[in-house]
Amino acid sequence: MNRLLRAFFRPTQKITATGVYTILVIAAAAMVLLGWFLPWFVGPFSEGVGFSPQDAISTAPTGIGTILLYVTGVCMLIVLLSPFVEFTLRARHRALDVRWDMVRAAASVVGLVLTVVVWILVRWINEEPLFGALPNGITTDSAVWLEMYGFGLAAITYGLKRLVLERPNVMFVVGVLPFGVLLPLMFHQAPAFVLWATQSLAIYMLLGLGLNVVVGFAGLLDLGYAAFFAIGGYACASLASPIHGVHISLWMLIFIGAAIAATFGAILGAPTLRLRGDYLAIVTLGFGEIIPDLATNNVFGLTGGPNGISGIDKPVVGSVNFGFNPQWFYWSLLFFSVVVVIMLLNMQRARIGRAWVALREDEVAAAATGINTTTTKLLAFAIGASVSGLAGAFYGAIVSIVSPDDFQFAVSIAVLSIIVLGGIGNISGVILGAFVLTFVIFWALPNLQEWSATLGHTFNVPAISGIDFTRYTFILYGAALIIMMLFRPAGLLPSRARKVELESGIESESLAAVQGRA
Amino acid sequence: MTPVEAHTEGNGAAPAAAGAPMLELRSIDVNYGRVRALRGVSLTVNEGEIVALIGSNGAGKTTTLRTISGLNRPSRGEVRLRGVPIHQLGAERIARMGVAHAPEGRRLFPRMTVRENLEMGAYARTDRAGVRESFERVFTLFPRLKERTSQLAGSLSGGEQQMVAIGRAYMSNPQILLLDEPSLGLAPILVDTIFEVIREINARGGTILLIEQNALLALKTASRGYVLETGNIALSGPAQDLLTSPDVQRAYLGM
Repeated sequence: MNRLLRAFFRPTQKITATGVYTILVIAAAAMVLLGWFLPWFVGPFSEGVGFSPQDAISTAPTGIGTILLYVTGVCMLIVLLSPFVEFTLRARHRALDVRWDMVRAAASVVGLVLTVVVWILVRWINEEPLFGALPNGITTDSAVWLEMYGFGLAAITYGLKRLVLERPNVMFVVGVLPFGVLLPLMFHQAPAFVLWATQSLAIYMLLGLGLNVVVGFAGLLDLGYAAFFAIGGYACASLASPIHGVHISLWMLIFIGAAIAATFGAILGAPTLRLRGDYLAIVTLGFGEIIPDLATNNVFGLTGGPNGISGIDKPVVGSVNFGFNPQWFYWSLLFFSVVVVIMLLNMQRARIGRAWVALREDEVAAAATGINTTTTKLLAFAIGASVSGLAGAFYGAIVSIVSPDDFQFAVSIAVLSIIVLGGIGNISGVILGAFVLTFVIFWALPNLQEWSATLGHTFNVPAISGIDFTRYTFILYGAALIIMMLFRPAGLLPSRARKVELESGIESESLAAVQGRA
Repeated sequence: MTPVEAHTEGNGAAPAAAGAPMLELRSIDVNYGRVRALRGVSLTVNEGEIVALIGSNGAGKTTTLRTISGLNRPSRGEVRLRGVPIHQLGAERIARMGVAHAPEGRRLFPRMTVRENLEMGAYARTDRAGVRESFERVFTLFPRLKERTSQLAGSLSGGEQQMVAIGRAYMSNPQILLLDEPSLGLAPILVDTIFEVIREINARGGTILLIEQNALLALKTASRGYVLETGNIALSGPAQDLLTSPDVQRAYLGM
């Protein structure tokens, strides 16, 4: 266990150190900003108007509490502006004075403390002398949580900047994992958001981690990855629903689903062993189309045809029924994600990981150094597929109905986009990619609607209030990828290998070309 | 002619440095689709000697090496390592049995560091102490690599890449080293360095099968040589004899 942990915390990707620092700084600023604005946008439409300094100041600028709010506001501005200042300076090859790190860290700590103080004052000692007249139930907990988290993250990042640069992986975990765990609590006033979190973020993160083994580590482009997701989902659905009268516990099913998916992964891998690049991509694409079609045609009477399988059991642990407490799905998924991440990090550093990289770099040379290319490739497919099967089993239990429509090509593309966006081959990058993409697609875009409506009404511009952003999901999606490819082609957190390849244009020949049968 | 020589007469070569046959090819045929690349190639490499395989472009030199290391399958004939047939085995099994192949065009893992490339050479080994020893030996042979351990292989110069390629092959502590055109595309001074190291490896007891277009250099380094022409062994014998053979001089030495 000790070895596992040590492997996990060993700094390996020095080159991403500034990347992690940048991500943490931007994340902190974004959370502070979001926490600031959230009450404005949530306010008019849903429960609880926010505590937000500028609200309180503008509505009732009286009492000594106002001073606290002003100070908090200054801290916010420092946290918000310092990334811009720093990156502008960095772009001009000038460094920010070290003393500023202390100032920023101090401002973050002050902001954190004041946020808590003001929150307590507003919530429990809501007296007029403090803030003037405020209605009851004024705090939006999500906003307060985001403020606190943003300030806390900024304090850690600026205060322990050297540690962040020396041990980016550890600090990434320290900075991001609590956010992942607290997510359902932070947004407990918006149960729909919790559902979003359970259904999308964790599932897509697992899918991204699995696909990353195949595409990132072993360099085998797989465009039909949703097929394994479908296999896991249908395995869960058939073995825990009334359709066949079988009811197996989800905790067994995730392993069964993973095993079945791994088997199919090996089955797909076997005939494609000799294929690389485009050819492999086309075969996997075909496989990804076949599996949902088989499900539509109710193959062997197992899949329930186009309507799919419904009434999938919800797991019950002790007194907690996951059906009524979906956040437990999220936490279970998060737990399994952490387990998967630790397993994958160790694999990456073990012999199999080196064999995958060698295979990706040069198949001939890999074989000549004694790597069994057949088993290495099959293992990549099987392990990648098994993670997807696990995610599929959870998915079935969460949505309680699986149908062929859930596993179309778009899913494969979305997962591929996550790892491209985050950084192919880098586990931290994939996690970040899952965060960003699910956040944009499932939360920002749908909510953008509401926000722009608010803006339109506030400033009396009907043109803004009428935009239906969800219709432009795929446009924004594509635009994001194009922008990524142009400005940061190796992903938000690039793996070392990709960064080198893109910067120096190193590319290894394909096996087929070398053997003259391309 | 003694019976021993008669036995090796099939290959046309007399055993120069005394040693048991390390590697034997017996009437190997290799086809690429309908094209026959090798016809009835037989050759022997004895323990502790350098054997050069020379020939012009397309003669089948690289195919011969690839067949030995299992990257190509012979359609006829057999390959034996210390008397054990290996031509049915997969490339990785053959590598694990001690055939180290430094392939044509070096084929390093460009996005791994020099150290990682060398580590990959020892992939099949489990004796950590031995691997560490091999690292030291490679760094003694190529002091330049020691300065560049954490540099990415793809960013090295051609000569350094060739050093890594040979070093990587040597890391597996091989029975026999197959070198495919180690002088390809290198400056003359680097070629000298590389061949110095090849002789050094041999002096330490290494067995080497060397492919070269630079026939003069190869034959000067080797103890015996084979001349490959369109898939056939056309000539063979002690390297000195080949150097002075009129046919070789005309066709390969430009004299």
